[in-house]
Amino acid sequence: MTDTDSPDRKPGFLDVFGVFFGISAVTIGGGYVMVPVIQRTIEKRGWLDEASFYDLFATAQSVPGPLALNTALFVGRRVAGPRGFAAAFLGIMLPPFASILVLASVLGAIGEWPAVRGFLEGAFAVVPGLTAALAFNMIKKRRWTVLRAAMTMAGAVAITLSGSWAVPVFFAVVAVSWLMERRRTC
Amino acid sequence: MLSLALVFLKIGVAAYGGGWTIVGIIRTEIVGRAWLSADEFARLIAVAQITPGPVALNAATLVGFKLHGLAGAAIATLSVVAAPVALSALVGLIAAKASKRGGRLTEALKTGTIGLISMTVWAFAPSAASSYMSAGLAALAFVVSAFTKINPLWLILGAGALGAAARAFFG
Repeated sequence: MTDTDSPDRKPGFLDVFGVFFGISAVTIGGGYVMVPVIQRTIEKRGWLDEASFYDLFATAQSVPGPLALNTALFVGRRVAGPRGFAAAFLGIMLPPFASILVLASVLGAIGEWPAVRGFLEGAFAVVPGLTAALAFNMIKKRRWTVLRAAMTMAGAVAITLSGSWAVPVFFAVVAVSWLMERRRTC
Repeated sequence: MLSLALVFLKIGVAAYGGGWTIVGIIRTEIVGRAWLSADEFARLIAVAQITPGPVALNAATLVGFKLHGLAGAAIATLSVVAAPVALSALVGLIAAKASKRGGRLTEALKTGTIGLISMTVWAFAPSAASSYMSAGLAALAFVVSAFTKINPLWLILGAGALGAAARAFFG
């Protein structure tokens, strides 16, 4: 791999696998929870700074599929090349797959326990706050221009109001921003 | 089995917008084909929630498992991630080259991504405002995640423990 700004300490296959396996094995609540957990964990390891992470996360949004998986794949590839890509894939996929195979017959019954229901209610209550903080942190870490600020506000309103058209509107917002950035810098 | 693979391949291509949107797409495909009843699907999703990992992947694995056992689980899971993994590899290659040209595309994608997250926050707002506990926990999660370097994992586990304790004491 010859990425221009590779991190100081290059993690190996098992490092990357271990990190994503651990995150996937203990995190419930879906993509917008797992993405901030991934960010803090790899920043602490010194693999990737916060601003570069949001660059990758934004790129991962352009691909269909589970957000947590795509973000992990991009991060794995960035920090350790194709080996990291494969390690991130296996790390994210194995824990849920294995737990379903082993526990499928009992998980339904466990889900009815009051303590488990309470745990889920509490855990899911933090999701809106984590999601809002993810947007806040991206906004904080970005290099702003008047154009970007105007496009981001217009885009947020357009996508929020677009309902089932969110995906086409998202790509339209990206295309318009890209064209406008291009005109300014040429 | 082949149709199971094809349906989940198709779901993988259409799967924009994160976990809960993807679960909605899976519901349309699976319940719409009468492979599972709406009730059976709802029960699977309840299990997918308490299984660790991305909820959309769990849903795919569980539906495959329910329909065709171990082989079905493997086929549904691998089919649903085939397109995302291939496209991630491809975009990763292109993005590594594109980033040398000043990151204009990355900036454009960030503009769109902030919009998508705004939509998600907006969609979550009613559930966050549904009780004092959920509003308080959401606000606390925002402050901790926005202004400290604490790993949000502790928030999820802590809030879960609080929720379990609340159930145990107040029923």
